[in-house]
Amino acid sequence: MKFKIIGILSLVAALCACEKKKTALEKRDTTTISVDNDTIRIEKLINNLENSNNKEIMVIAHRGDWRNAPENSLQAIQNCIDMGVDMVEIDVRETKDGQLVLMHDTTIDRTTKGKGPVKEWTLDSLRTLRLVDGLSVPTNHQIPTLEEALLLCKGKILVNLDKSYDIFDKCFEVVEKTGTLNQVIIKGGKTKSEVEEEFGEYLDKVFFMPVINLSNPDAVTIIDEYLEDGSPIAFEFIVPQDTIATINRFKSLRENGSGVWVNSLWSPHNGGHEDEKAVLDPSVYDWYVDNNIDMIQTDRPGILLEYLRGKGLHD
Amino acid sequence: MINFFISMRMLKKNFILILCFQFVFALGFSQSAVPLKTKSDSILYQFKNPSKDRILAVSHRGAWNYAPENSLMAIQRCIDIGIDIVEIDVRLTKDGQLVLMHDKTIDRTTTGKGKVSNFTLAELQSFRLKNACGVKGSRQQIPTLEEAMLLAKGKIMINLDKVEGETVKEAYEILKKTGTINQAIFKGRETVQTMYKKFGPIMDTIIYMPIVIDNVDDPSQYVNDYNEKQKPYAYEVTFKSVNSKKFKLIKELNKLNVTVLTIPLWDDLTAGYTDELVLLEGPDAGWGWLIENGSNAIMTDRPDELLNYLRSKGLHD
Repeated sequence: MKFKIIGILSLVAALCACEKKKTALEKRDTTTISVDNDTIRIEKLINNLENSNNKEIMVIAHRGDWRNAPENSLQAIQNCIDMGVDMVEIDVRETKDGQLVLMHDTTIDRTTKGKGPVKEWTLDSLRTLRLVDGLSVPTNHQIPTLEEALLLCKGKILVNLDKSYDIFDKCFEVVEKTGTLNQVIIKGGKTKSEVEEEFGEYLDKVFFMPVINLSNPDAVTIIDEYLEDGSPIAFEFIVPQDTIATINRFKSLRENGSGVWVNSLWSPHNGGHEDEKAVLDPSVYDWYVDNNIDMIQTDRPGILLEYLRGKGLHD
Repeated sequence: MINFFISMRMLKKNFILILCFQFVFALGFSQSAVPLKTKSDSILYQFKNPSKDRILAVSHRGAWNYAPENSLMAIQRCIDIGIDIVEIDVRLTKDGQLVLMHDKTIDRTTTGKGKVSNFTLAELQSFRLKNACGVKGSRQQIPTLEEAMLLAKGKIMINLDKVEGETVKEAYEILKKTGTINQAIFKGRETVQTMYKKFGPIMDTIIYMPIVIDNVDDPSQYVNDYNEKQKPYAYEVTFKSVNSKKFKLIKELNKLNVTVLTIPLWDDLTAGYTDELVLLEGPDAGWGWLIENGSNAIMTDRPDELLNYLRSKGLHD
């Protein structure tokens, strides 16, 4: 009997705790920021994206702020907005019932307690799961839909949709529906002629950024092809060694109107000038500044922002 | 450079702390003949003399949002930001070495696969730790307990998890070798009788913190037994609800003037007053509540935020 009562009481306590959290969530959701501020903020970000000649360096957060919230969660995006990150990189996958959700891997094994490929789960069944934190412990956060993520980003932060190239017709519908067309950047590792054939109808509508590995012997040809009629909004370069001569072209590419994006994530992307080293010595990021790179995708948005602000290269 | 400034700042603060303690000694309030020289000495003093005005900040598995869990870098980060105690997990390798690893297998946190106990230390060191969420890119290796204690020496206290009933003796040997017996807090959920039966005189030499958790039917008896035999400086208390006997025990422990460590990592451990609640409703609702209700030490997954909060309340230096 005693145990029963304790059981009921703890159930009540647990329910109360849940109730409390719900209220807090609602409270946060109804916090309204005036539309004008959003318009100013996003216009500033878009202008900066389009202007490859100013000294502002853009910070792109890989999978959101995954250190302090589950990767690809709404909270991970919100943290980026709060920190002043310019762009959040998120990954899109399609569910069994044709819905678009945020998920990096093809399976849900690593980031939830569920198992199996995303495409074998319906959205409703995915919604019963919770995302895990960095210790693999379930949190209160759910797998977001692309629509929810874009609505959260609307007016506040630019978005790079990764893994979206092959399902872009579907992504485009959501982007249009949410009115975030001017905030979204798509990338792909194809040549210009391939992209025109596969992606042509969208090229005038969204920002498309080619990804080029500078160790590819054809890299220069690929760049030149893209430059034939006008400059892309930006080039993403993979720079396995920092001695590759093409790095010297970054300056003129920017003068011609393209941003230059390099990932600081891992060494093979940046010839060793990586986040892991920058943690110990932020002057590692000097290499990006010195080499005319103006867009950096990072796993350390906090440290990179602090570094750039210290140099007057970010507000 | 930033680290340098932080450590300079901490040095300065430590210096003031040390002066304060020396003053206390001069007045003869302490029986101890050993002067407080290092940062970890002052943390130990705090641990032995709990107060409502100075809360111990404990970081779960190191600062894992900054560097891989149970890595040297995650411990170093805790030292740099001013954490008092870092909790780490210890397991035995095939060749009898103690390494830092939470799970039985290395699958989740490293680039390798398999049980810790099936690898030699040398084999384990060929793998690399992964970041939180399994994100790649870390260069950190699996550390040995010896490396961790040498890093911690004089700077921070260590709370050893997963040693209970298995590797107390092996861990004790490492502490002796590295001269860090006074910096390591062992813990476990066995009764005092069982622990003495298993480990005998070692129990009188190490710092041992009994855990009050589900398997303890009569918390008061459990505490009484420990107090008669070993007089622990601290207890780790978990409670699913505020109506549980374990929650009520905190008040009794406060009267005994021992440190009460609560661990608001997950709902079941602190009746929903968790790190997550702090994120949603602010620190007063979570950590503040725990302090009001008798915690002198808080173990968190959000070490930066906890320290900011404690400092803003004047509860941490």
